[in-house]
Amino acid sequence: MRSPDTIAVARARFAPLLAKELRELMSGRALWTMLLILCPLIGASFFQAASLYGEASAAAKDSPELASGLSPLDGVLVPTFGALYLAVTLLFPFVAIRALGREKETGALRLSVQLPYRPATLVVAKMTAIGIAWLIAVIPALSAIAVWAALGGHVYAPETLNLLLGQLLYGLLVGSIALFAAAVSEGAATAAIVTLAFTIGSWVLDFALVGQSGLLEWVSRLSLTPALRTFEQGLFSAALLIGIVAAIAGFAALATFWLHPGVPLRSKLLRSVICIAAVAAMLAGVTQIRASLDATEDLRNSFPAADQRALAELREPLSITVHLAPEDPRYVDLKRNVLSKLERVMPHVTVRLAAGQSFVGSSSDEAYGEIEYSYAGRIAKTRSTSHREALPLLYQLSGRTPPAPIAGADYLGHPLVSNAQPALLWFFGALPLLIVAAWWWTRRPPRISAKLIEEGGRP
Amino acid sequence: MTTASAPDVISRSRVAEHATALLQVAKLAKRYGEQRALTDISLAVRAGEVLGLIGPNGAGKTTLMEAIAGLVPLDSGEVLWRGAPLPLMRRRELMFYLPDGLRPWEEQYVAHVVGFFADVYGKPESVATTIRTLGLAGVLHKRVNALSKGYARRLMLALALITPQQLLLMDEPFDGFDLRQTREIMGVLRQVAANGRTLVLAVHQLGDAERVCDRFVLLADGRVRGQGTLDELRAQAGKRAAGLEDVFLALT
Repeated sequence: MRSPDTIAVARARFAPLLAKELRELMSGRALWTMLLILCPLIGASFFQAASLYGEASAAAKDSPELASGLSPLDGVLVPTFGALYLAVTLLFPFVAIRALGREKETGALRLSVQLPYRPATLVVAKMTAIGIAWLIAVIPALSAIAVWAALGGHVYAPETLNLLLGQLLYGLLVGSIALFAAAVSEGAATAAIVTLAFTIGSWVLDFALVGQSGLLEWVSRLSLTPALRTFEQGLFSAALLIGIVAAIAGFAALATFWLHPGVPLRSKLLRSVICIAAVAAMLAGVTQIRASLDATEDLRNSFPAADQRALAELREPLSITVHLAPEDPRYVDLKRNVLSKLERVMPHVTVRLAAGQSFVGSSSDEAYGEIEYSYAGRIAKTRSTSHREALPLLYQLSGRTPPAPIAGADYLGHPLVSNAQPALLWFFGALPLLIVAAWWWTRRPPRISAKLIEEGGRP
Repeated sequence: MTTASAPDVISRSRVAEHATALLQVAKLAKRYGEQRALTDISLAVRAGEVLGLIGPNGAGKTTLMEAIAGLVPLDSGEVLWRGAPLPLMRRRELMFYLPDGLRPWEEQYVAHVVGFFADVYGKPESVATTIRTLGLAGVLHKRVNALSKGYARRLMLALALITPQQLLLMDEPFDGFDLRQTREIMGVLRQVAANGRTLVLAVHQLGDAERVCDRFVLLADGRVRGQGTLDELRAQAGKRAAGLEDVFLALT
C-alpha cells in the first residue's frame, strides 16, 4: 500500500523531460560540430559519386546493356550515405554519450534519478533525443538526395527509404551502445573508448574474419557493419529489422539497469546477464524468419520475375551442398547470385558447405568447386555460380519446364550526365552557414517576462 | 508500584519516538573498500522538524544522506518510512536530496532549469514565488555554468523548493553564502518547515546548525556520537550551558 505522503510517479509528464534532453543535446558543441563536418564529407562524396555516375552514363549512351547497370542507388546514394555512415561510426558516439555522460560527470544524474520518472523512462527520453539528433545529422545527406533530384537524377522511393531505414537503425544502434557505455563508465572519455571499441571493432571483425568458417564466422556476424550492408543492397529483411531493434532495446535496457547509482553491483550484473541472454535468444530466434522484400527498382536481390513465380511453387525441401571454401570468391558469387535468392523465394532451402572447412591448399580434391543440388530425391551437379546454369538444373530436378521470360520486366537503368559542381556551393557554403545560424539561434537566451522579473526581485 | 529506571525511560522514549517517526534509519552500514564510511547508524526523523546532521568533513554526512536517498547502495541496514521498509525505487516519491556543490545541466539557462522542475512536478505557478523567494530574477537569462557559487546554491535551493516531497535532505545548504545571505536562507528554510515539510540538513558549521535546527545527530568517523535537542545533548555531555560546539567536542 502506498503512503499518503507519496507523489505520483505516473502523473509526471514526458514532454518536459524530453525537452530538457533536447536542450542538453542542442546546448553542447558535439552535434553542431558533427553537422559542420558532415557538410563537406557528404558534399565531396556526392560530387565524386555524381561525377563518376555521369562518366559511366556518358559511356552507356549508346549501349542499353551498359545503361541497365546504372542504378542511382549504387552509383550515387550509397556512396553519399557512406559519408554519413563514417560520421555516425566515429562522431555520433560523442553526441550520444553527451546525453548521459555530462549528467554523470557533473553529478546532475543524482537529481535526474530522483525525478518522478522510472529509470526506463529516463533512458527512453535520452534515446528519443538521440534519435532526434540523428534526424538532424541526416539533414546534409537528405539535402544530397534533393540536389540529385534537382539535377534530374532518378530517385526510387522504396530503395531510398530502405537505405534511410538502415541508416536510422544503425544510428540508433550506435546511440544505444553509446548510452550503455556512458551508463557503465564514470566519465565521457571512458564511454567514448568503450563505444569506439564496438564500432571500430566491427571494422576489424569485418576485415579480419571475412570468409572465415566455424566460430570465427559466428564472431564476424557480431559486426555492426553487415547490418547496414543489407539495406545498402536494397534488401528489407524482417529478421534483420527485428534483430537490430532487439539489439537497440537490449543496449537501452542495459543502460537502464546501470543508470541508478543506488542499485547494488550484484543486482546490476544479474539483470544484465538475464538481459543479454534474452537478447541472444531473440537474435538466435529471428534467424528463422525468412520474410524479406527486395526494395530495389532493378530487383537485384531476386531472380527474373518469371523464375520467381515458378520457384515459389516448388514446395519440396531443396538441399544444396557446396564444395567450396568460404573464402573462395566463387562461393561469394554463388551466395550473391543463387543461394541468397533461392533462400528468399523457396520455403525450404538448406545450404551445407561440404566438410565445413577451408579447402585452400587442397585443390587436388576433384570434387572441389562442385555445387550439388538435391530436390525430390534427385541430384544434379554443376560448377557454375550463375543462376543461368543453376535454375535450369532445378527445373530439371523438379520436372518442370523453365518459364518463359515476362516481356517488359527488364530494368533499363537511369543514366544521367550532370554537372554537380554547383552543388559544392551548397555543401561547402550555404549549408554550413545555415547550420551555424541554427546553432546561434538555439543558443539565444530565453525570453523572460518583465512581470516575472518584477515579481521575482531580490528578497 | 515500581519506579522506572533511567535506561527504561530512555528506552520507552525511543520506542515512542520511533512510533511517531516519519523516517527511520536502522543499523545502516557502508564501506568503500577497506574504509568504513558508516557504521551501525540508527536515527529517526520526526515530521515537520529541522534535523541537523553535524560533523566535520569526512564524518559521513554526505554518504549517510545519499544512502537514505538511495543514491549509494548499502552494505546493511534499513530505511523505514512511518515504520514500514522503504524500497529503493520508492524513495523519490517521498524525499528529495539536494547534493552539495552541484551545477546541474550547466550549459542550460537558469530559467530553463527552474521551468523544467516546475513542469515535471506540475507546478508552473511556483516559479515566480520561488524566484522571488531566492532572488533569482537577475540571473534567469544566464547559463548555469556562468553563475557565481552563491547563485548556483540559490538555484539548487530553488529546485528543492519546487519539489513536493514531504522530506528534504540538503547537503551543506549554507555553503557559499555570506553571513547576511545565510540568515536569509535560514529564514526561508524555517518557513519551509513551518509549512509542513521536514528538513534534514548536513551542516559542518556548528553555529549555523545551532541557529536553524530543532534537533541534531552528531556524527564522527561514520558513527553516531549523540542525538537529540541541544538540551538533551548538553545533558548527555554533562555541560549544562554549553553551546553546540562544546557539546560536539565533548561527545566526539
